[in-house]
Amino acid sequence: MPTRLTMVLILALLVSGVLGAQSVRAPDSELRRDLDRLARGELVAGLPGPDGVTEGPRTIAAGTLVRGAVVSRGPVDVSGTVDGTVVSLAGNVRVHRGGVVTGDAIAVGGQVLADSGRVAGEMRSMGALPTLFTSAATAAEPRSPMRATLDAAQLVAGVFAVILIIAIGVLLFAGPKLDEVVGTLERRFGRAFWMGILGQLLILPALAVLCLALALTIIGVLLIPFAIVAYAIAVAGLVTLGFLAVARLVGGALFPGNGATPRARALGGTAAGVAIFFALWMVAALLVSAPVASTVIRSAALAATWAAGTLGLGAAILSRAGTHRRVASGNRPMELAAWQTPTPITGVVAARRPVASSKEAV
Amino acid sequence: MTTPSLLGRLAVVIALLVPHASVHGQGDPLWRSVDLSRQLHDSLPKRIRVRYGAGTVDVRGAGESLLYAMHLRYDERRAVPVHRFDADRQSVLLGLESRGPGLGRSGGGQDVGELRLALPRTVPLDLDLEFGGTEATLELGGLTLQSLRLACGATDATLAFISPNRTRLRDLEVNVGAASFAGRQLANANAEQMRFHGGIGSVDLDFGGTWTRDLSVTTRLAVGKLTLRVPSDVGVRLELRRVAAGFEQQGLVERDGAWYSDNWETAPHKLRILAETFFGQIDLRRATR
Repeated sequence: MPTRLTMVLILALLVSGVLGAQSVRAPDSELRRDLDRLARGELVAGLPGPDGVTEGPRTIAAGTLVRGAVVSRGPVDVSGTVDGTVVSLAGNVRVHRGGVVTGDAIAVGGQVLADSGRVAGEMRSMGALPTLFTSAATAAEPRSPMRATLDAAQLVAGVFAVILIIAIGVLLFAGPKLDEVVGTLERRFGRAFWMGILGQLLILPALAVLCLALALTIIGVLLIPFAIVAYAIAVAGLVTLGFLAVARLVGGALFPGNGATPRARALGGTAAGVAIFFALWMVAALLVSAPVASTVIRSAALAATWAAGTLGLGAAILSRAGTHRRVASGNRPMELAAWQTPTPITGVVAARRPVASSKEAV
Repeated sequence: MTTPSLLGRLAVVIALLVPHASVHGQGDPLWRSVDLSRQLHDSLPKRIRVRYGAGTVDVRGAGESLLYAMHLRYDERRAVPVHRFDADRQSVLLGLESRGPGLGRSGGGQDVGELRLALPRTVPLDLDLEFGGTEATLELGGLTLQSLRLACGATDATLAFISPNRTRLRDLEVNVGAASFAGRQLANANAEQMRFHGGIGSVDLDFGGTWTRDLSVTTRLAVGKLTLRVPSDVGVRLELRRVAAGFEQQGLVERDGAWYSDNWETAPHKLRILAETFFGQIDLRRATR
């Protein structure tokens, strides 16, 4: 029993010793932290070490000169001269008549009062010292791999959702035009690709020509900003329409949707196609913690998306945004020649009809 | 698969995805307030530049003993205060700088940052103000402004000269983006020329105040409403360049390609306005003092 009591006493002494040591060390570490924040956050040079900081109030008497920074953990009253910066970490800095501070005067948790004294530098009053000193890249909280992966996946999912919403809108309001672009893709695949390349190369020169043409007149100059916006919207619309057409072509091939209504088939094919293209991006996002694999897959996703965008842009240009039906159908439209007449039900002898050669001869 | 079921499934997927699709920021705001000021030790002309992103702004004249007194409330995660004084060039740069890329916002949500700036009245100043998405109130009457340039983004801004500027304002230039801008008592600016360039929005210019010299004003507004308020004892010559904009002339008479007030020849002070707009409305209102 006495042994147990002795052990308890020793333990209590040890605990109190540790706590006591901590209580002594804590202010010191707090002071070091504050000095660090002063140096890095407020850019105060020539600060003393913790031993050079005054505990409690500090007074610089009239007629005295202090060289270097003055730092106190209480209010500071300056009636003499401080050749440096004056800092109060807990209270006011007051520069009295005749008092001079050649550097800055900084009060944390107080005010700088220098109506009658002279401060050559800046006067700063703040509730607390800054806690972040570096640029955003390092100031931001480091993200865990899980957080980074989740953020990247959410970004891809968000863009996917936006594209899906646009796709639904296009199918609802511009379905026939999308059909024409898909038809153009099916029939003139190679030409659509090269047209897409050409379109990309000419986007900026065409805009420059447009602006130059508008700049020739006063009214045109006013129209330039609107023309630029309209041009950007038109290009974005063409690329989006084309991309959706490619997505629908790819998705429709993989998921034909037999037995479904045409609209459901179109919607399902488009959604499946968009999902296929975004699947690569999603894989890259999920592998964001593995930089090499993520870069490789992201490159593949970028290449696939670029190819789809190029093809789609070319097809959209060739079909004039889906309004040029002759290109999509691949056939020249039926034109009635002047000599043709509807065939009577009872019939006309075919041999009696004039032929083209005979007409030319006439 | 039928259309309704497919659409229904898509709607569910989109509803689940969209709320989580936003890119996460750098965490909750870390608000901090600081007061910065600098004593005025001479009367040499100064150039003061102010850069500020989003939040509320208040700039006005103050006492004679300080070159500037600035109160800032900002989100430490997004911005750092800027306060540089170049004694050789007699120039000051004040405001906030964004940490890294981004919109330079000073805060998020409903809680926004704040900048309050007081400037000396007696020191000749070249003032250069640049604000982003802010609500700005600038009361610059009684200062000694030599030049003033104000650039605003998506801003609700008011520039007022409640009392006359102490010196001739060489140049006053205002550029606003998509904004609502109001100029009050602009004659007190003591300027010879003013330029207002606007994108989309409403611009309301009141030329009240003390007239000491003739004034030339150029306004360019792409789309929106331009309202010009001119005292009735000031002669007005208005030259319009418009594409699809309405105009209420309020008694002005057109001759030689411009609109003139009936007191143009006799008025002690004259206001020449060149107004260009593409689409919108131009109102000129005469006010009795």
